[in-house]
Amino acid sequence: MFFNPFILAEKVLVGTEKLNATQIIAMTIIGLLVVFSALLILVIYLTISDSIFRNAGKSGKPKKPSVEKKPAPAKPAPSKTAPVKQKPAPKPAPAAPASSEDEDEVVAVIMAAIAAMGEADGTQYKVRSVKQVTRNNGKSAWAQAGRVRATQPF
Amino acid sequence: MSGVLDFFTNTLGGLWSDSGLNALFSAGGYKNLIMILVSFVFMYLAIAKGFEPLLLLPISFGMLLTNLPMAGLYHPELWVLVDGHVNYGEVLKEGGLLDILYLGVKLQLYPPIIFLGIGCMTDFSPLIANPKSFLLGAAAQGGIFFTFVVAGLLGFTAAEAGSIAIIGGADGPTAIYVSTRLLTGGGAITTGNIALAAYTYMALVPIIQPPIMRFMTTKKERTVKMEQLRTVSKTERIVFPIAVTIIVSLLVPSAAPLVGMLMFGNLLKESGVAARLIDTAQNALMNIITIFLGISVGATTKADQIINLKFGGVMLLGVIAFSLGTACGLVFGKIMYRVTKGKVNPLIGSAGVSAVPMAARIAQKVGAEADPTNFLLMHAMGPNVAGVIGSAVAAGVLLSVIG
Repeated sequence: MFFNPFILAEKVLVGTEKLNATQIIAMTIIGLLVVFSALLILVIYLTISDSIFRNAGKSGKPKKPSVEKKPAPAKPAPSKTAPVKQKPAPKPAPAAPASSEDEDEVVAVIMAAIAAMGEADGTQYKVRSVKQVTRNNGKSAWAQAGRVRATQPF
Repeated sequence: MSGVLDFFTNTLGGLWSDSGLNALFSAGGYKNLIMILVSFVFMYLAIAKGFEPLLLLPISFGMLLTNLPMAGLYHPELWVLVDGHVNYGEVLKEGGLLDILYLGVKLQLYPPIIFLGIGCMTDFSPLIANPKSFLLGAAAQGGIFFTFVVAGLLGFTAAEAGSIAIIGGADGPTAIYVSTRLLTGGGAITTGNIALAAYTYMALVPIIQPPIMRFMTTKKERTVKMEQLRTVSKTERIVFPIAVTIIVSLLVPSAAPLVGMLMFGNLLKESGVAARLIDTAQNALMNIITIFLGISVGATTKADQIINLKFGGVMLLGVIAFSLGTACGLVFGKIMYRVTKGKVNPLIGSAGVSAVPMAARIAQKVGAEADPTNFLLMHAMGPNVAGVIGSAVAAGVLLSVIG
């Protein structure tokens, strides 16, 4: 009924009249059916486009487990584990493989955090490398960082 | 000498009898006073309680302006259909300020433009990443049709029932779009009633939804953690609005103005090539149209028309509509939970009630109550934005059936 353009010209229910029970039930069923069908068709479209676009997207993505970045000219900066002070205190450790998407986002967050800290200090940091730290002798990276900070010559 | 005195008394007498104060105290004027007080209530809700202030404040002020007697800002009699249409010549000749602004509402111009702005601000990627959310968006529109049943049984006319039902779509512009088309003027309910109910209950969603959500789902269902959504490529996000426009407009042509503008706005945003247009659509254009829409819709709540039981009926049915929508969404959410063997959290079904992003935030909140490490927000945004499309389709259905 709805898809026939000729029928659409005459509305089925007159606006100014009260409704009887059959009209109400019919309207409800038809309404729910049409809304569900329209959205179901959209689901089908999305599922199809999903498979089309996903295959198209996958071929173009390079996978990079480790990342090196040099965004701004400034003092060289420490890597992820060391405390962020004026003096660099690199703490390299073997990089753990991670999915490239997660890794990119994590790197972006780290760079943003370092930049924000640098702004507060008034210094500009340059992120040379970001490597994931594995546990050393069962002690956490934070504990290690704290130890480095405490033992740094001043 | 007495001539001058006469002149004074006559002029002052004339001024008094023409004044609004006199009209307030004469026959029927008390109704205007009641409506003015009601407008104060809504202004209080908007300003002090923060209920959807961007719309509720213009609407309530429009209510105030229209009920000031003799001010002549709005004339309901101009908008009654004569031989099937409004006498626009008469409107242009006799109309007051709010009559002229109301033209944009009656001509169905403002709601689609607001949808344009909404499309510019909406991110459909949670929906694209999880197409099943569309079904939850559809299910929540059950609130619309079941409210139609209740309104019909209560004796409202077809047009009134349709306008009340669309409140369940939880979408202000859609509700205004439908009710201006269906309500022919001179009836007991006006667009202003519908809009008031719609925006009040949209603001009350945080109060209406959670009890229903807790009642209808078990703790186990609420703690379901959903798989992280995949990222959606830019190409998908550009093709989506185009495809939706074509598909929906072919299936339900009366929904085309709303869905078309929504998707147009979204395409502008996703394409990224029309930064100036997006900026205007999201900001200046939205704000201008919101002001005009709000104040002119508020103006339709003129006292002689709407002080009757039906106004209360609309407000009552409004909360029923929202509750039914939430319930339907939850029921379908539970069905999906069963069907996917526990992969879908039923709570996101309630986000199909398209009060964006409030309903999604509430799904997140109730989910976090059950398990604080559960982040349902992005998953709930899928049904939430699907509900916007769903309520526009439902609006199209109502408009094509009811004449």
